[in-house]
Amino acid sequence: MSHYIAFIKKELLESIRTYKLLIMLLVFFAFGVMNPLIAKLTPDLLNALMSEGISITLAEPSAFDSWTQFFKNITQMGVIVMVIVFSGLLGTELSKGTLINMLTKGLSRAAVILSKYTCMVLIWTASVVISFLVTWGYTVYLFPGDKVVNLLFSVFCIWLFGVFLSALLLFAATLTKSNYGCLLITGAGVVICTLCNIIPDAYKYNPLSLAANNMNLITNTMAVSSLYDCVWITGILSFAMIAASVLIFRKKQL
Amino acid sequence: MGVLEIKQLYKSYDNHEVLTGLDMNVPEHSIFGFVGQNGAGKTTTMKIVLGLSKSNGGGITVCGEKVTYGETITNRNIGYLPDVPEFYGYMTPMEYLSLCGEITGLTKKQIAAKGEELLSLVGLADEKRRIGGFSRGMKQRLGIAQALLNEPKLLICDEPTSALDPIGRKEILDILLAIKGKTTIVFSTHILSDVERICDHVAVLHKGKLALYGTLTQIKEQHRHNGFIIEFLTREELSIFADCKELKKPSINLSQERNTLTVTIADANTKGYFLIDLLAQKKIIPLRFEMMEPTLESLFTEVVQ
Repeated sequence: MSHYIAFIKKELLESIRTYKLLIMLLVFFAFGVMNPLIAKLTPDLLNALMSEGISITLAEPSAFDSWTQFFKNITQMGVIVMVIVFSGLLGTELSKGTLINMLTKGLSRAAVILSKYTCMVLIWTASVVISFLVTWGYTVYLFPGDKVVNLLFSVFCIWLFGVFLSALLLFAATLTKSNYGCLLITGAGVVICTLCNIIPDAYKYNPLSLAANNMNLITNTMAVSSLYDCVWITGILSFAMIAASVLIFRKKQL
Repeated sequence: MGVLEIKQLYKSYDNHEVLTGLDMNVPEHSIFGFVGQNGAGKTTTMKIVLGLSKSNGGGITVCGEKVTYGETITNRNIGYLPDVPEFYGYMTPMEYLSLCGEITGLTKKQIAAKGEELLSLVGLADEKRRIGGFSRGMKQRLGIAQALLNEPKLLICDEPTSALDPIGRKEILDILLAIKGKTTIVFSTHILSDVERICDHVAVLHKGKLALYGTLTQIKEQHRHNGFIIEFLTREELSIFADCKELKKPSINLSQERNTLTVTIADANTKGYFLIDLLAQKKIIPLRFEMMEPTLESLFTEVVQ
């Protein structure tokens, strides 16, 4: 336990001093600011760009457009930024040899994996929360009166997807030594998830569904309960991958 | 009982055999020079001792406890200094030592006291910069500090001086000498002058086994040739001496270089006195008369070839 705490402190210090935390928070903060603004300004922008004589009618922007931006940004750019920022978390330490010193001091290998995972989840959580709060505040300000439902659950889904992806990333990192290998395996994992959707009804259990149905949730075209299985499966998969990472890392030749 | 005992250690990488039944015993409180060519398997041996690498057979004990691959409890008795130590560049030396201290289970007070003591031992006490801006020599010194933090019974240094300039090397060697007696040091290197300077025991690793082992004096004693070097003032004196019929024996070999004559005697029972008698007979006082002393370098070349 003391190893875990000592190493979490180190991981957080590392995130701060190597600007990982700053990058994540800034990017997600920027999303938060952009989401409602883009929703609000898109019609005006289009009108300004249109040449004389052509007119298109756009629906009046609403809170849904703002949330569409939010979920689109996080599931695309946000996730990519996270994966890139975190991809070197274990690999760099292994290739540079900084971890060897710590391990020869008796640092438990489980503590390494667990503290790194905790740190990833903490930063991811902070980023999603920041982005959510800013988007929410702006949206309420710009589009008062628009009602959205299941918003917190929908955001929880996307958060859980990030938690799953972090576990996959760390699991991939224990399988290879290089950062690229880690990115490749993570990518492969996501592709496999996508391919699984070919099987009918697989989407009910596919972690990817957590990042694909957010708008359906808040427009109430999809019932919250239909994602419960998926939430469980994702949670269990994440746990299993972290457990496997610990086991593999324990016996890894360094 | 030795602090580190290695018995019949085998290790191979993809059909390439590195260690073939290595036996080694490091006595307590020695500075143990572990010598070998590049690629002889020094680092491999150390990694196996630290549980970082898996052996293909054989056993190792550290302070009487068996080393297992992976997480091994024996590491709490070991301080390790890798050949090119890498630290978290964003930390200051003291922050780094604190992290190490927390991992080894020291209290905050102990960390502060021990950290300061060690940083001043290695001359980094007033360094407030982050490690990222350190020179190699400074990193190497910090490496020693972190390795000594948990007061290990065994300090393993993997080529600590190989990449350093002469001053940096001297500093490291001085630090190692200063901690002699407090801990046992295994010191791998291929710089033989470093070994002669600080080590009391020496082992030469060659073809996966120890080709030479013992205290420095023992080894030199065993490998001493019955030979003498005589330097003359002039070349005439040399030729007068070399022409003596007493030296024209098959068991005596003469080799001459300028004014210096090297006499090697194959018969171990023939002592060097007769040479002195001979010099006296010819009324020659040599500039220099000395017994041939094997250098570590000559021994090393001898066993490695």
